[in-house]
Amino acid sequence: MDFVISLDAVSRRYPRGVCALRDVSLDVPAGQFAAVMGATGSGKSTLLHCAAGLDRPTGGRVRLAGQDITRMREARLTRLRRDRAGFVFQSYNLLSELTVRQNVALPVRLGGPRARTVDEVLGQVGLGGLGERPVGELSGGQRQRVAVARALVTAPAVIFADEPTGALDPATGSQILGLLRTAADRDGVTVLMVTHDPAAAAWSDRLVLLREGAVADDRAAPGAAEIAERLRGVSAVAA
Amino acid sequence: MIRQALRANPWAFLGPAATQALAAALVTTGLCLVASFDGARLGDSDVADIGLIFTISSVYLAVLIVGVTMGTAIAGQARDIALTRTVGATPGRVRRAIAAQAVLVALPATAFGIPLGLLAGQAWLHGLAGSGVVPAGVAFRVHGGTVPIAYAVTVGTSLLGAMAAAIRPSRLRPAVALTEAAVPRRGTGRVRTPLGLLLVAGGVALAVVISDLDAATADQAGLFVMLAMCVGTGLLGPVLLRAAALVARRLGPIGTLAADSVTAHARSLSGALVPLTLAVAFAAFTIVRGTTVAHVTGVATPSADRWLEYSGTGAYTAFAAIAAVNTLLTVMHARRRDLAVMRLAGGTRGRTLAVVVCEALIVTSTALAAGAVVAATTLLPLLHTALGTWRPWLPVSWLVAGVTAAAALVFAGMVAPAAAGLRRPPIEVAG
Repeated sequence: MDFVISLDAVSRRYPRGVCALRDVSLDVPAGQFAAVMGATGSGKSTLLHCAAGLDRPTGGRVRLAGQDITRMREARLTRLRRDRAGFVFQSYNLLSELTVRQNVALPVRLGGPRARTVDEVLGQVGLGGLGERPVGELSGGQRQRVAVARALVTAPAVIFADEPTGALDPATGSQILGLLRTAADRDGVTVLMVTHDPAAAAWSDRLVLLREGAVADDRAAPGAAEIAERLRGVSAVAA
Repeated sequence: MIRQALRANPWAFLGPAATQALAAALVTTGLCLVASFDGARLGDSDVADIGLIFTISSVYLAVLIVGVTMGTAIAGQARDIALTRTVGATPGRVRRAIAAQAVLVALPATAFGIPLGLLAGQAWLHGLAGSGVVPAGVAFRVHGGTVPIAYAVTVGTSLLGAMAAAIRPSRLRPAVALTEAAVPRRGTGRVRTPLGLLLVAGGVALAVVISDLDAATADQAGLFVMLAMCVGTGLLGPVLLRAAALVARRLGPIGTLAADSVTAHARSLSGALVPLTLAVAFAAFTIVRGTTVAHVTGVATPSADRWLEYSGTGAYTAFAAIAAVNTLLTVMHARRRDLAVMRLAGGTRGRTLAVVVCEALIVTSTALAAGAVVAATTLLPLLHTALGTWRPWLPVSWLVAGVTAAAALVFAGMVAPAAAGLRRPPIEVAG
């Protein structure tokens, strides 16, 4: 039972019969950096949303940080997410009118654990000295660093990353992936990342490939070239 | 293409349309009263002037309030304007498109407001005759110039407000415009704040001067005190909100979050603060004058005069209040995504809503304080010259009712839409 994320035969069916996930089972142990890949529409974002409690599965069970969240009440689920999970999105999802410091302090001000200081996490993501800048004035790479800092400030058990490098160039993207890698290696944070970029997936320990809402492949992550090769195989069958 | 960009969110123009319809209605009511009294040949009595005073005050209010709501709507489109600039629209074309938009909103709104004004005028005249202010024989007449004058007022104020708000985004270099659309300017107001301070200082100085004059002169000059104070506090809006936010910081982490948010949105929120302050000031001035006179002299104002005064003030206050709620709805609509982001960062529905409630309290108390200062500066000299007292008098129950009404308005404009928006899953809103 020391899986931080545990999905047991999870399905997600949408009202008009579209099935985004079919009987997906996935266990991610503490400290593992897992990447989920698949073609557009393969259900990878739905998988992340269900695992993080942002969406509710229509079948199966989901456990997050040791608690069954399948039918957990919304307020309790939010508190669990706030205290144990961090999020990094492709679209950053920061409050652009507020400063870097105010954004990073957000989970704590909303009642989350004050596990680490804002200065400490800003230093870790390389944004020391930029605390008073409004987020709207920053570059994309800097914004994503703010998002990583905000995810780290509560010292979470798990970070969910949804296409964290989708809006960034390869060099900037790999800096962000390096931050996630460090969080897993040094702080023991579990990372579940959804991506369509083989180079991004190459930073992970484990690669899960989805096809039409089902797990098609689940192995230790190889290098970027082989990931691209496997991805082509899966996508070709899907197409 | 520019017009399409601006039309992408028609709801943004609901606020200006509503205030324009009301402005048209108020002007129509005023004009019809003028025509009806003229027709009845009431001569030089005070009553004959009421229609004219009401019309002029309505135009003045329309300029302020339609201008503010239109400005808020255009400011909400700063990003779209910046985008059209990047794809090659000249500043002139952007301004023309915005002007066309302003006129396009004003036309149907006015067409809707005029019949409303006719109905209100008829009802009001009926009320005036019923309470004996005018002879029962006065017939309701429609002023011949109603339609052109109403259109001139609404289209004019709409254009004025839109163009004033469009100058900056249309002039900026496209790259700067895009950045600025993402981050509203901070710390500016180098002209706005001193000008506001100057007007408030002028209003206070005039109030001090007239408090030693005779009652009739003071009564006439009182209008200018009110004008200077209203425009002055309007210009100081962002500064006042930031100052009030400092107090909220003492209320723990939720208060701090609300204070950060109010400080960052001070400029757009002050678009709601201006009409709110006007509503509070108008209502406080009229009501406290009535109660103080009755309290000091022991004689109640004749019910006819009271009816006249209260119905006029009621119309202005309602107009300003509706404009305030509209502006708040526009501001909160633009912030739906921010609230979803707060939920994703770990805010429960309850806590996220608590932040908005705290923001609403900051806005309410700022409006009440500013409105009270405007009303006091205008009223105290008049009380001193007419009654020889500096002490206004208001029953506690009235005070409580007034504070509750102001809070209800702000909550309807801020907390209600936030609560509705928070029902949707945050990941759907933020994406």
